[in-house]
Amino acid sequence: MPSIIKSPLFLTILGLTLGLTGYYFFLTDEPVDYNAEIKPIINQKCISCHGGVRQKGGFSLLFRDEALSPTASGKPAIIPGDAKNSEMIRRLYHKDLEERMPYKEEPLSKQEIKLLTRWIDEGAKFETHWAYKSVQPQKIPGGGFFSFFDNDDENDIDLFIDKKLDENNLSRSDMADKQSLLRRASLDIIGIPAPDSIAQKYLSDPSNKAYEHLIDDLLASKYYGERWTSLWMDLARYADTKGYERDYIRSIWRYRDWLIKSFNQDKPYDQFLTEQLAGDLLPNATDEQFIATAFHRNTMTNDEGGTDNEEFRTAAIIDRVNTTWETLMGTSFACVQCHSHPYDPFKHEEYYKFMAYFNNSRDEDTYDDYPLLREFRNKSISQYDSVMTWINLYGNNDLKTYYSRLLKTGQQCINSLLADSMINAALGDTKFLMLRKSSWARMKAISLTNKSTLLIRYGSGNDNGQLTIRLDSTSAKPYLKIKVDKSKGGWSMLEVDLPPGSTGVHDLYLNYENSKLKSKDDNGMRFDWFAFTPSFPGKDQKDFTTYHDLFIQTLNRPDAEFTPIMLDNPADMKRKTYVFERGNWLLKTKQVEAGLPELFVNDKDIQLRNRLGLAQWMTSKTNPLTARTMVNRLWEQLFGQGLVETLEDLGSQGANPTHPELLDHLAYLFMNDDNWSVKKTLKRMVMSATYRQSSKTTGKAKDKDPLNKYYSHAPRVRLSAEQVRDQALAICGALSDKMYGPSVMPYQPDGIWRSPYDGRKWKQSDGEDQYRRAIYTYWKRTSPYPSMISFDGSAREVCATRRIRTNTPLQALTLLNDSTYWDLSVKLAQNLLKDKSLSLEQRIGKGYALATGHPINEQKTKAFQQLYTSSFQKLEKEKEKILGMLSDSVYRKQGKELAAFAVVTNAILNLDEVITKN
Amino acid sequence: MTKEKIQLEAQRTALSYQTRRHFLGKCRTGMGMMAMGSVLDSCNLFSGNNADGSLVSNPLSPRAPHFQGKAKSVIFLHMAGAPSQLEMFDYKPELQKMDGLDCPDSFIQGKKFAFIRGVPKLLGPQASFKQYGQSGLWLSDNLPHFQQVIDDVTILKAVNTDQFNHAPAQLLMHCGTPRLGRPSMGSWVTYGLGSENSNLPGFVVLTSGGRNPDAGKSIWGSGFLPSVYQGVQCRSEGDPVLFLEDPNGFDRDMRKASIEAINNVNELSYNEYKDPEILARISQYEMAFKMQIAVPDVMSIADEPAYIHEMYGTKPGEESFANNVLLARKLVEKGVRFVQLFDWGWDSHGTGEDTALDKGFIGKCLQTDKAVSALLLDLKQRGLLEETLVVWGGEFGRTPMQENRDGKQNSFKGRDHHSEAFSMWMAGGGIKAGFSYGETDPIGYNAIEGKVSVYDVQATILKQLGFDHEQLTYQFQGRPFRLTDVFGKPIDPIIA
Repeated sequence: MPSIIKSPLFLTILGLTLGLTGYYFFLTDEPVDYNAEIKPIINQKCISCHGGVRQKGGFSLLFRDEALSPTASGKPAIIPGDAKNSEMIRRLYHKDLEERMPYKEEPLSKQEIKLLTRWIDEGAKFETHWAYKSVQPQKIPGGGFFSFFDNDDENDIDLFIDKKLDENNLSRSDMADKQSLLRRASLDIIGIPAPDSIAQKYLSDPSNKAYEHLIDDLLASKYYGERWTSLWMDLARYADTKGYERDYIRSIWRYRDWLIKSFNQDKPYDQFLTEQLAGDLLPNATDEQFIATAFHRNTMTNDEGGTDNEEFRTAAIIDRVNTTWETLMGTSFACVQCHSHPYDPFKHEEYYKFMAYFNNSRDEDTYDDYPLLREFRNKSISQYDSVMTWINLYGNNDLKTYYSRLLKTGQQCINSLLADSMINAALGDTKFLMLRKSSWARMKAISLTNKSTLLIRYGSGNDNGQLTIRLDSTSAKPYLKIKVDKSKGGWSMLEVDLPPGSTGVHDLYLNYENSKLKSKDDNGMRFDWFAFTPSFPGKDQKDFTTYHDLFIQTLNRPDAEFTPIMLDNPADMKRKTYVFERGNWLLKTKQVEAGLPELFVNDKDIQLRNRLGLAQWMTSKTNPLTARTMVNRLWEQLFGQGLVETLEDLGSQGANPTHPELLDHLAYLFMNDDNWSVKKTLKRMVMSATYRQSSKTTGKAKDKDPLNKYYSHAPRVRLSAEQVRDQALAICGALSDKMYGPSVMPYQPDGIWRSPYDGRKWKQSDGEDQYRRAIYTYWKRTSPYPSMISFDGSAREVCATRRIRTNTPLQALTLLNDSTYWDLSVKLAQNLLKDKSLSLEQRIGKGYALATGHPINEQKTKAFQQLYTSSFQKLEKEKEKILGMLSDSVYRKQGKELAAFAVVTNAILNLDEVITKN
Repeated sequence: MTKEKIQLEAQRTALSYQTRRHFLGKCRTGMGMMAMGSVLDSCNLFSGNNADGSLVSNPLSPRAPHFQGKAKSVIFLHMAGAPSQLEMFDYKPELQKMDGLDCPDSFIQGKKFAFIRGVPKLLGPQASFKQYGQSGLWLSDNLPHFQQVIDDVTILKAVNTDQFNHAPAQLLMHCGTPRLGRPSMGSWVTYGLGSENSNLPGFVVLTSGGRNPDAGKSIWGSGFLPSVYQGVQCRSEGDPVLFLEDPNGFDRDMRKASIEAINNVNELSYNEYKDPEILARISQYEMAFKMQIAVPDVMSIADEPAYIHEMYGTKPGEESFANNVLLARKLVEKGVRFVQLFDWGWDSHGTGEDTALDKGFIGKCLQTDKAVSALLLDLKQRGLLEETLVVWGGEFGRTPMQENRDGKQNSFKGRDHHSEAFSMWMAGGGIKAGFSYGETDPIGYNAIEGKVSVYDVQATILKQLGFDHEQLTYQFQGRPFRLTDVFGKPIDPIIA
């Protein structure tokens, strides 16, 4: 026996090693690790009966104070420091099966019981789950303040990765070749193959900085923003329609464009989030900042006749809460809607406190998606400017703010849909209040304080109607009497001065009479909205009428682009928020104010109780979730899986991080060193040697780590739905460069759109709009673009935090047969046939290289040559087939050669290597 | 490496994973998570990691349910728009006597309706009823053919839902929630059972009536399940399955040659990268090629004998409910697990002739009655009814009151949406024959006996397929989700 074995050092090392693998065999002084050892047992074996949802026997293990409280028996089940006398432990050993826990399940193992016993003896301490602790700077493995790298191609990421590889007796693969890296980095960073200029520069640059320059060029490319926008559109559940039955059009593409610009500018992520969550609340918010808030206006609106707007307004608010947590903070919060979180420390009431941040937004499931930002165009720009100049001249600052907000957003208006207590009146098609002959309706709780004018946007087909408004009772004396004539062009404006001294909050009773209407069922007038405003300034001035008319005109029907935005109710319209019993919006219980879950309330620096305060908390460096969630997502986009696989759930039920220190390291740098720069974080990741490995797998890696969790080689990942399309367009030279603007309709087979009560048709776009990048494709929620759905695109009804990649025959059929891809195959064939000097072999090689970024080898060339020959022979005999394949007369001239070659290019576009990132 | 060798390796790999796999029933928490585009069944929920799994196994390969089910497949006939139970199955002579009277206050106090406002009038049945068969079940004259099969079905007369708008109610019926984002019943079933016929999708959807159902394609979507489990819409016009047909000018030989070339090159790539996903792709291309033959074949009814066309009232080439019903029979015959039919146009508000109970509604009944009855007879004569569960219904029912939209009497006789009680029926697949379950009050407003929820219907369907609806789960957002949310229990009294 060598002497070292006898040495105390050896015994210590042995002890530690064994201790790591399972130290219940040894007595150690290490206290039990709650998160690593106790929480998993509780979550798996106990919590489904003793947790947030069910608390059998009055015992819950979710929070420490609950766990130590008396149970139904009157005594606590856990006595800290005294396992022997703790009922919980006694029950684990119990002989009587009725008494033994887990109830009617396999008993816990001896080791598990020992661990729980030690845990109680050590004081039954609970510990916060890792993801809820703030991010700390990490020590880089093997390095102190200085890291040692084998070569220039490595960075600190590799040290974290290598440590795990070493532990698992694996090693990194060699660097991938230049062409592979070019294609991989291009698809990852800009979503399409690099433009020629960038590609050539890189391939011809022999210096060791060539790769870094490539990355810089790609990050600076305008295509970068489009690629990362496609990711964010899933999180924002972006769509061009409102959802549900009619699924009618919604114009919200300006938000998509805002995303592209923001990514391209590398807007710091904290600012990027703040603008989306609370852009409207920023001081002197710009149009762009308003548009950013459309993030949360991508919730669905239900236009189905007979629906309760409050129900679907509530559904939208709940969606905002869930989306905020799931996509931005990697936490599944939705279950807290009905009961306290079954596994994580969130209480039922906290859901609704959080909901209160969103509950005061102006939108209320109206048909028009109010409130809308109006971006004036043409004549309306100068009209708006003139009106505002007038108000500047004759009004004060408050009026300036008021009128600018009113003209730009149509707020604060009271939607007529809030009317109730109707007699012979109705909410027409649940879109607007309709008054008939001798009818009544009530508008509840309207504040008249400091208001002097009433504006009504109305429509009527009749002259000489009489609208009478009474305060608080149908029998009160008339408060306002308004003559109502026919409206012009759908909606007109009525304006009436309020009696002087109007003040207080009142119910308004509206009564419409018109002697010309014959039947009581005849429609009298309809209302869009009411606005109670201060007086339009400059009453005594000469041009008052001109400017006042201009104001009314601009308010009523401006020439503008309308985008749904977030805007809060003014103080006198503030909504109350209640806890919903079991998540049922009709069962309102306790009233709550906006606030964060208790777990986070130590963040004292957050004062504001509105969305802006929320955004500040979410983007503060002490928030444990925001940065981790984002770097995890960026990692997933590059490496095919997250450092925490469950991007949507970093909580105790999500997957464990494969590299916890690396995750925290990246999150820390993201917030601090990189000042929330997404581009810098991406660059850090793609500059690592881990990213630059070859994707070829060795037998050893396949056996030991089939899912490549330790990154012993680069992942091979099928391209996203968007990348599949965009890449094909680029390979075939058809990709349009056009950025921004309303969504387009590329080819789609007939008969896909068939929504009830919606006669709209898919109208194929012209010219280059056929060949725009996928993110510009018109997205109808109930009937999304089929080929993108085949490739696991998300329908975007709700946020999709993670796409699960599948591999199906429908994908094969799409690439083989969809006219879009056949059209592109012909285009590619035509391009390759242009140079008459090339041989068939060379053409095949060129097509393959365009599609894969690699030179072809002999065997593959042979396979395509055979395909060409057999197709050519076939087509030579059956000329009518060619006419079917090539529609354009120009192509017919090239005839069978082109047709046969298009069969080859079609096959190339279908290759695994082409639709996979290698 | 030859192709055979590759296939052999793929099988071996699959098998080596298979042994480590946990199947339904053996695993307390049901099926686990999916990742990386491949099926990774894992019960290892507490770590959340997917250590087990196969990279090359087919997510649609057939699987055993929790226990031996009585039904192998389901045909769900959904009359989108919600047909009136009061003119079909739920005979209410008392309501006839009260026709034209104001609806008693107790029925409308505190209730919400989609369109009825104020005090509506009661509306007697707009059809005459008779008892049929040995079971003596009541049936209206709107369904002249259904009497032949009345002794084969169980009618549920007191189904209750909590949604009274179409899209949310349809979502509830098929996805177990009125909101979007959850998998549909067919997806759950395909996830649980896989597909028996590898040349056909496991879950097929057929629509008629000129429109998609109100809830859109999400009611056959896969929600958070992998998209491989979503329903595949088969169409009677254009490609039966989208992109199934080769581009013009291709013939089978050319397609065969091109898929061979693709797969040959993919094999070469596999030798290079050793990525099992490439093997999966090779088999998907082979399957696509087979589907191109199998689907048009099963989707064509032209070869059916004349007596079958006579029986169903089918005419090859047109988009009709009857054609879809016949296709449904062909699909289950070929091993498709879940066939979902939607027929649009049942929303009988009485706002126009086509939605009047005494006009358009009768038309809808006649369009469908013959084919539905033929389906049961045909399944029976083929010995398939025992193993095929046929379900019929809408997303809710209709009010015993005549609709007075926005407080005005509608111009035609119609009824508003009604969630308290409505009729559905089930047949075959181990369900009692010639049986009625549940009762409504004398005017057909409330369930007074045998009230069942939409979740109960779902739990029953799953049970007949061999699933405990509480155990067919999928781990998502940190918790196991299931079709029936936290509700539902199988309707045991109707199970034979």
